[in-house]
Amino acid sequence: MKKILVLMIIVLMVVPMVFAAGQAEKKTGYEIVVVPKDASNPWFVRMKVGVDEYAKETGLNVYQKGTAQIDATLQAQLIQDLIAQGVDALCVVPVDLESLEPVLSQARKAGIVVITHEGAGLENVDYDIEAFSNAGYGAFIMDNLAEAMNFEGVYTTMVASLTNGSHNEWADAGVARQKEAYPKMQLLAAEKRVESFDNGDVAYNGAKELFKKYPKLKGVMGTSSYDAPGVARAIEELGLIGKAFTSGTGMPLDNAALLESGVVQSLTLWDPALAGKAMIALAVKVLDGEKIEGVVDLGVDGYTNMKFKKGSKTVLEGEGWIVINAKNVYDFGF
Amino acid sequence: MMKKEMTPFARFEKMYASDRHLWRLIIMIIVWMIFIALTRFSKFYSILNFQTMASQFPEFGLMSLGVMLCMITGGIDLSVVGVANFTSILMAFLLLNLTNAAGGLPGYAIPLVFGLGILIGAAAGIFNGILVSKFNIPPILATMGSGELFTGLCLALTKGNAVSKFSRVYSRTINNKIAGLVPVQLLIFIVMAVFIWFLLSRTVFGTKLYMLGTSATAAKFSGLRNDRLLIKTYMVSGMCAALGGLIMLANYNSARADYGSVYTLQCVLIVVLGGVNPNGGKGKISGVVLAIILLRMLETGINRFPSISSYYISLIWGGVLILVMVLNYFTENSTRFIKRQMLQQ
Repeated sequence: MKKILVLMIIVLMVVPMVFAAGQAEKKTGYEIVVVPKDASNPWFVRMKVGVDEYAKETGLNVYQKGTAQIDATLQAQLIQDLIAQGVDALCVVPVDLESLEPVLSQARKAGIVVITHEGAGLENVDYDIEAFSNAGYGAFIMDNLAEAMNFEGVYTTMVASLTNGSHNEWADAGVARQKEAYPKMQLLAAEKRVESFDNGDVAYNGAKELFKKYPKLKGVMGTSSYDAPGVARAIEELGLIGKAFTSGTGMPLDNAALLESGVVQSLTLWDPALAGKAMIALAVKVLDGEKIEGVVDLGVDGYTNMKFKKGSKTVLEGEGWIVINAKNVYDFGF
Repeated sequence: MMKKEMTPFARFEKMYASDRHLWRLIIMIIVWMIFIALTRFSKFYSILNFQTMASQFPEFGLMSLGVMLCMITGGIDLSVVGVANFTSILMAFLLLNLTNAAGGLPGYAIPLVFGLGILIGAAAGIFNGILVSKFNIPPILATMGSGELFTGLCLALTKGNAVSKFSRVYSRTINNKIAGLVPVQLLIFIVMAVFIWFLLSRTVFGTKLYMLGTSATAAKFSGLRNDRLLIKTYMVSGMCAALGGLIMLANYNSARADYGSVYTLQCVLIVVLGGVNPNGGKGKISGVVLAIILLRMLETGINRFPSISSYYISLIWGGVLILVMVLNYFTENSTRFIKRQMLQQ
């Protein structure tokens, strides 16, 4: 019996020691924790790359800690644990906005700086970082499409649905950008905006119809991550490679084949690694007592010219969009 | 064994022998606390941290108590999370209606929510009990099915969205600390735990439960009305789950069909870890409460180590569970062995 007890104690003591080994506690500087939606989603694995890079560059005690599964309750409990531990700042990508409000208010009461990403509706935060403003991103997609189309020709826009807020804002901004910068391009007057319902097949069939109906149509600006890839399949199938073009949001690995074969020149996205770095940089600024006003420079690519969203005192918008093309498609891991 | 001289160690051994399983859990908690003290003292041993843990475990702790009762009868309740979410969503709608223009709640709102919530839980539990007893569906299937049913109802009611925007008064009240020290959630848990302890060890109902769990056939022929007993048991389990749901409603200030979806397995794990025999007939509430505390301490403790990924939490939980079961096997065997040797002498 005693033997077993001793054995048990040893096992319990040693196992975590092994895990804990190799992590010397850094006492200097701030302790800042990034809490993503979960730990295993490739999007957040990529974010961790940025966080770890930041920690290496600055030597701050910065790390990412996520739950094993996407679950609003688990995330809230993890954050509660971190509050009790007394970290200096929390950078959170919320799973569910509503369930986090009470927890984040606890954090702020405890004097912890709270920065969120993709949490523009939250009240109990110091600041929320968005990779870009809707207007800026729409214009960016248009720039990419225009380049592919050689700055001329007829185009139209595609959104998930006509009621989707951000997609329509992107499309509006894209059209505005074309009118301002690319006079040789025209919006297809008969069908200015088509719907894809966030479905690749709908996007594909819709695009096929469009290209048959309007032979002059040369480009489609996609917004949802299914639009441009769906349109690209139509272009490929109709043999219009090099004659018709598309650009829009898209995930790299899903569309690697399309990018490499040249059906699509470029897709647009934002990089979670940079968003993670930007959150930490902002947290450091707030902890240092810097005033966050006017134009904010976080020293992270795409986040050097951040401005407050109109009418908001907490939401900061950057220019954190990136181009995904055949060259960098494999760099992100998702 | 020597009986004449009781050295402190012998006394301890006797105490240990009185309930090996319980003591083993206590020792594990102590070992873990010592380990944390050695490595992360300042980050773990603070009033705030213990308050946080005490406000975190009641939601799944209450659900575990329900699962425990069912397991003592030889059954199981896998619908606890579904019942909890179903209750919390309905009550969230009620709170939405009660919230006045100023964002406040009338005085009767919170007692009403708790009263109605417990009734809903009881009704859901009775439904489970009828499925198990009258229709003779194996509990694991019956409750899994009803759990899916309740989750489906939740989805239909909310279309998958969170129900929120009701008065914060509810959340604030439950998240209060009595005398600035004891979280209200913990109080609710203690009340329910004492109630169930009373049921199990001080009432005929409790004795009958253990009998039923030991042998349903024997219980039947001893004149026990198994159907009624089972329905009552699942009813209490439903009430526990409903209370868990009401606490979740307060902790997250919103209700949604998929909150706490990891709790189902966690509850079963806790109950088995707490020494309840999955075949029924055996198990104490003290063991289950200790298991709840042990699991929360493990998770919170592990969260203190930045470099340990959360994946290890499930790994360690699984490890602890298997360790306890294997130890049980060995100690039971070795005591039998010792007794046999003593008899031979």
